[in-house]
Amino acid sequence: MMAGEALKLRFDRIQSVAIIAAVGGLVGSAIAGLVWPSAFFPAYLVGFLFWVGISLGCISLLLLHNLTGGQWGRLIRRPLEAGALTIVPMAILFVPIGFGLKTLYPWADSAIVAADRALQHKAPYLNPVAFLLRSGISFVLWITLAYLLNLAASIRDRKGGQAPGWLYSMSGPALAIVFFTGSFVAMDWGMSLEPDWYSTIYGVMVIVGWALLTFAMMIFTISLLARSEPVASAATPGRLQDLGNLMLAFVMLWAYMAFSQFLIIWSGNLTEEIPWYLRRLRGGWEYVAFALVLFHFFVPFFALLFRDLKRNSQVIIWVATAVIVMHLVDLAWLVLPARGEALGTGPRIPWGALLLVLVTTAGIGGVSIWCFLWGLKRRPLVLEEHPAHRGGSAHV
Amino acid sequence: MSDGSQRPAGDESPVPEPDYTIESVTDKISSIVLVRPYGYGWLVGFTISFVLMMVLLLATSVLFIKGVGIWGVRTPVMWGFAIVNFVWWVGIGHAGTLISAILLLLKQDWRTSINRFAEAMTLFAVACAGLFPILHLGRPWVFYWLFPYPNTMGMWPQWRSPLIWDVFAVTTYATVSLLFWYIGLIPDLATLRDRSKNRVAQIAYGILAMGWSGSSRHWHRYRTTYLLMAGLATPLVVSVHTIVSFDFTIAIVPGWHSTIFPPYFVAGAIFSGFAMVLTLTIPLRRIYGLQGFITAKHLENMAKIILTTGMIVAYGYFIEAFMAWYSANPYEMHQVLNSRPKGPYAHTYWQLIACNCLIPQLLWIKWFRTNPLALWVISIIVNIGMWLERYVIVVVSLSSDFLPSSWAMYHGTKWDYATLFGSMGLFLMLLFLFVRVLPVISITEMRELVHEQAGHDESHGAGGTKP
Repeated sequence: MMAGEALKLRFDRIQSVAIIAAVGGLVGSAIAGLVWPSAFFPAYLVGFLFWVGISLGCISLLLLHNLTGGQWGRLIRRPLEAGALTIVPMAILFVPIGFGLKTLYPWADSAIVAADRALQHKAPYLNPVAFLLRSGISFVLWITLAYLLNLAASIRDRKGGQAPGWLYSMSGPALAIVFFTGSFVAMDWGMSLEPDWYSTIYGVMVIVGWALLTFAMMIFTISLLARSEPVASAATPGRLQDLGNLMLAFVMLWAYMAFSQFLIIWSGNLTEEIPWYLRRLRGGWEYVAFALVLFHFFVPFFALLFRDLKRNSQVIIWVATAVIVMHLVDLAWLVLPARGEALGTGPRIPWGALLLVLVTTAGIGGVSIWCFLWGLKRRPLVLEEHPAHRGGSAHV
Repeated sequence: MSDGSQRPAGDESPVPEPDYTIESVTDKISSIVLVRPYGYGWLVGFTISFVLMMVLLLATSVLFIKGVGIWGVRTPVMWGFAIVNFVWWVGIGHAGTLISAILLLLKQDWRTSINRFAEAMTLFAVACAGLFPILHLGRPWVFYWLFPYPNTMGMWPQWRSPLIWDVFAVTTYATVSLLFWYIGLIPDLATLRDRSKNRVAQIAYGILAMGWSGSSRHWHRYRTTYLLMAGLATPLVVSVHTIVSFDFTIAIVPGWHSTIFPPYFVAGAIFSGFAMVLTLTIPLRRIYGLQGFITAKHLENMAKIILTTGMIVAYGYFIEAFMAWYSANPYEMHQVLNSRPKGPYAHTYWQLIACNCLIPQLLWIKWFRTNPLALWVISIIVNIGMWLERYVIVVVSLSSDFLPSSWAMYHGTKWDYATLFGSMGLFLMLLFLFVRVLPVISITEMRELVHEQAGHDESHGAGGTKP
């Protein structure tokens, strides 16, 4: 079941495109960073949050599948294993953010901190050294996990489908670690853009969004691969439906988190909380918010209720694409309004920065996709069935 | 999890144990209701719970005569035991729907042994929960004013109040849980009708079975309805406790107005719900010899769910404390970092941390997950911990909010305790009756499982659910 020659050629071709996108996007980003740093750094952060979310999502879903099992994992385990590896380049691509701390985060600017008592209170936590240390430790932990997960995959392949016992023992604690570190870096990277503002659900909301994005990305990948063997015969309607149902669950979970935060802050209407939403609900951003409600929740929600849609890879791919695009929009909506004043656009949508998001996303994505395909080529695309569990393959 | 025990599902012991046949399953489960005489133990247990329920009756009678002044509620703590008990009972009532609906949709076969019992427990817990807000109204006899109905008083509920959302959330939940439970029972009621020798029982079960004949058309409709009900019940698992959490978060009281509350309340509800299922099923399976149906695997799976949801709850506590500091808001900081861990209710707070965060960590060790006695003790500790959690949230925040001049202590009176323990009596009494008159395990679904395990499972993918 090794990837056939034709498939390999296709992967090579996509990889060359990915290299072009990476070089083009990153060079473009570098130029933008030098010329227009106030727009570049937020745009870069959006692209980074998008792709790092997929890497982290792959690690988490692998761990989750080790714990729960289920047919849905059989189909996407290979892509998830390859996706977990992309955390390595993401760690390197984090470096530019380290250079932009002052531009991105008010708490990194000692002049602003000196004038703000609340920020002085938070300084033991919100300072460049602690910020970089937290991100650094998290990356070390995630890379270790990505390595271990791929090591376990190699062992399993060698042993004819039997994964080592430690894979299952470590998955519980490891998932707790990813959840904890993930929610805290989400607060660091995203929430602290507006250091006066706080919301206890923020970290979890971002993580759930990343999990949803990862499901959408996996369905997208599998649907593309299902156009040819060996995935075509492995992607049974039943398994696709399971994946679709899980994506539906995460669509709802994401909406639940986002709406809970909105309802609680809207009804409280407190001066220290409500500005976050005010910034995101005027100057054109309200249309973005409306589009999010519509296309990040209602449209995928109703679409995924239909059974036939979920069972056809060439239809569900469109829902997955919509979710992927809308999640990028969501991240832009979370990040960019925070920097409106610095960008000089005030409350209005910073179109320049928004265009830059496309450049940075392409650049980072090129690297990530290249790495992903490199990982995908290393192993057979479809899991070898362990003889003991062959009974499960009849799931349709 | 911690010792490599988490092996692919095919390696685990099947449920029920393999020596059961379709016949023996039916015999075994229905005999608890039809054949077995009620024992001494049942009578003693029933009597104790009945006496406790009489205490509830007494406490509510005094309440109706004298008013809520007999409780400990005083300004500023106007939400005392009643709301604590309400949230606690509603939380317990979450396991049933989770097990019945979500685990059914996730194709977790092991749920079959515990769903019937958990659903019954849910109904009784929701019944207990529903009592408290009504008793707390002050004029409980006009509770129906909570509903928006056309009336000559020109009255309409305040839709911006989450308390009104609660009315709808809880009544919807109770209705759907009841229907779901009843629909699931119909084939079993028919079995009891057919097997009982007593004329009265035959008529009673016959009426409830609504003419079930077991034709394939009946089965087809039954299946469809059951799945649809599961789909309908799924959002309710989340919605009810979310709205209960809004009761707090929508108010801007320090320690209540926190965005993490909805998911963390839901996790806490499942946490306490499963703990209660364990507290009740561990003695039940021993007394009625149901170890072959409710196996060590069930206990372990429930223990894992308790561990997982307990970790989410612990994350909630942690993020609340962290964010209180991070917010730099003096009221939040005082409430979460001072009043709770160091204030006059500090002992309650630390007990809750021990019960909900520290002790459940023992479940990482397989021995604790599979030893019924250890698990039973932990489940009771979790139940206590979750009650204390609600106590801390309700009482500590109200007793020390914004103005130090309005701070005051709160303590439950003897009538508060009488109502709390009395509600436990009501709950247990209903359960004792349930065990005697209805099958505690779904005979139908158990027969299906036995059938599948007997080698007819190719089309279900029962074996290979793991990589």
